[in-house]
Amino acid sequence: MSGNKHQYAFFLGCIAPNRYPGIEAAAIQTSKNVGIDLLPLKGASCCPAPGAFGSIDLNVWYAMAARNVVLAEQMKMDIALICNGCYKSIYEVNHKLKHNDELRDGVNEVLKEIDMEFKGTADVWHLAELYYDPKIVGVKKLADSVKRPLAGAKIAVHYGCHLMKPGKERHFGDTENPMWMEELVAALGAEPVQYRNKMQCCGAGGGVRGYDLAHALDITNEKLINMQEVGVDAVTEVCPFCQLQFDRGQIEIKEKFGAEYGIPVLHYNELLGLAQGMSPDELALDLHAISVEPFLKKIL
Amino acid sequence: MAVKKDYKDQKLAEKLRDRKYYIPDSNPEFIKDVEKIGQTAAHMCYQCGTCTGSCPSAPRSSYRIRLFMRKAILGLEEEILTDPDLWLCTTCYSCTDRCPRDLAPTDAIMAMRNLAFKRDIVPRNFLQTVQLIYKTGHGVPNNDANRAARKRLGLEAEPETTHKYPEYLPGIRRILDHYRLKENADRILAEGE
Repeated sequence: MSGNKHQYAFFLGCIAPNRYPGIEAAAIQTSKNVGIDLLPLKGASCCPAPGAFGSIDLNVWYAMAARNVVLAEQMKMDIALICNGCYKSIYEVNHKLKHNDELRDGVNEVLKEIDMEFKGTADVWHLAELYYDPKIVGVKKLADSVKRPLAGAKIAVHYGCHLMKPGKERHFGDTENPMWMEELVAALGAEPVQYRNKMQCCGAGGGVRGYDLAHALDITNEKLINMQEVGVDAVTEVCPFCQLQFDRGQIEIKEKFGAEYGIPVLHYNELLGLAQGMSPDELALDLHAISVEPFLKKIL
Repeated sequence: MAVKKDYKDQKLAEKLRDRKYYIPDSNPEFIKDVEKIGQTAAHMCYQCGTCTGSCPSAPRSSYRIRLFMRKAILGLEEEILTDPDLWLCTTCYSCTDRCPRDLAPTDAIMAMRNLAFKRDIVPRNFLQTVQLIYKTGHGVPNNDANRAARKRLGLEAEPETTHKYPEYLPGIRRILDHYRLKENADRILAEGE
C-alpha cells in the first residue's frame, strides 16, 4: 500500500475483472498516481446487474446490492467503482436504503440470515467523479499526472446511462449535454469531439443485449454512425458493459449488418493509463475485439 | 374490448359509445401494483409522449412506452404482461429524466416486468444470469483466457471477489434462496426446454 490520503474499497463488478482486466489494472495504477488507493473489497459479487435482477425482482436486487455495500461498511470505507451499471446498483440501492426505513428494514431482515446488517455508513462513488472532483483529484492534478499527452487524438465521449440518469436522483448536473467528461479527456492532451445524439444509450442495458441482440446492436450502430461522421480516433466511456457493447458489438454488427467502423473503444482508465505512460501490454489492450493499434500509432 | 352501451336511445348509444375506457376484463388493481413496486405515481400520466419521443427503442421497434403507461392505467394486465415489447426497454432512463410529471416511466416498466415474472413470464437470458450468479457470484464469470491475461498484468488469476473467496458464496445463495429465485429460474428454464 502506498499510503495515499484517499482510500476506497474497490468494487470490481464482473466485466472489468473477467473480460477487460486491463481496466482493473489501470484503475489501480492510475488512481495511485493521482493520490487514491483502491483496496480490495473481499468477497464482493456481481452488483447485481440492474437490468437482469431489477427486472425480475427488485427486492432481490436491493438485498444483493446491500450485501456488497455492507462489506465496505465493515471495512469502514467508502466504495469506488468503475462501471455505470455497478453504480446504478450500488449507489442507488445504498441511497434508497439510507432514506427509506421500510425498505431498509426489509433488506435487513434478509441480511440477518447471513449475520449482516446494512447500517448506512458508507458512500458510493464512481472513480470518474472522484477524478473530476477538485477536493479529491481534479482536472489539474489529472493533467499534471500525464507523461505522454494524447496529442492529436480525436476522442468521442460516451457517458452511458446509469451514472448520471435519472438526474434528479444523482448529483452530476445537466444530463442533456454534459461536458465534464470532455474536460477529463482534454486533461490528457486529447481533443474531445462532439457528435450527434451524444447521450443516447449504447443499447445493451435492461437485459436487451441478451433478449434481442439485433435490436441492441441497431442502437449501437446508430451511435457508431454518429461518431464516424465526425471522424474519431477512439471512443471512451466509464462503463465496461458499454465497452463490451461497442467493442465486441462492432464485430457482431459486421457479421449481422455488414457495416464496419474499426473505432477503438477505451475505458477512461485505459486512456488515462496510456497518458500516464503505461504500455499497451500493461493494459492488455490486445484483449480488445477492435484493434487499438491505429489509435496507438497516433499517440505513441 | 370496450362495452356496448345499452341505452334506450340507439342514436345516443352510438354517439356516446365507449371507444376505449370502460373495459370489463381489466384489472383496476394493476396500476396500484405498478405504483407500489415502481415507487411512482404512474396514474398521473397525461400521455404527452415525451417518453416515447426520448426512447432509443421506439424508432426501431413497435415498443411504445407511452402505450404501456396508458394500458397500465386502464388495467390491461393481460395485454401488458404477455407483450414481448415489454422487454425492449434498455432502462436508459431518458424518459424518466425528461418526464414532465416526474413519473419515472422506466421504473413503471421495471415494475411491470416484476409482475410478469411473478407469472413466470420472463425471457430466458434473465434467468441464466440468476443461475450464473448463484453458481459463481458473477453474472459474467472468469474464464481461462482471462485468468492468463490477468496473470500477465500482474493481477491474481482470480479477482478479489467471490472468485477468490468462494466462502462468501453460501451467503449469496441464502439471499437468492430467501426469494426462491434460483428455484424459480431453474423451474421456468426447464419448463421452457
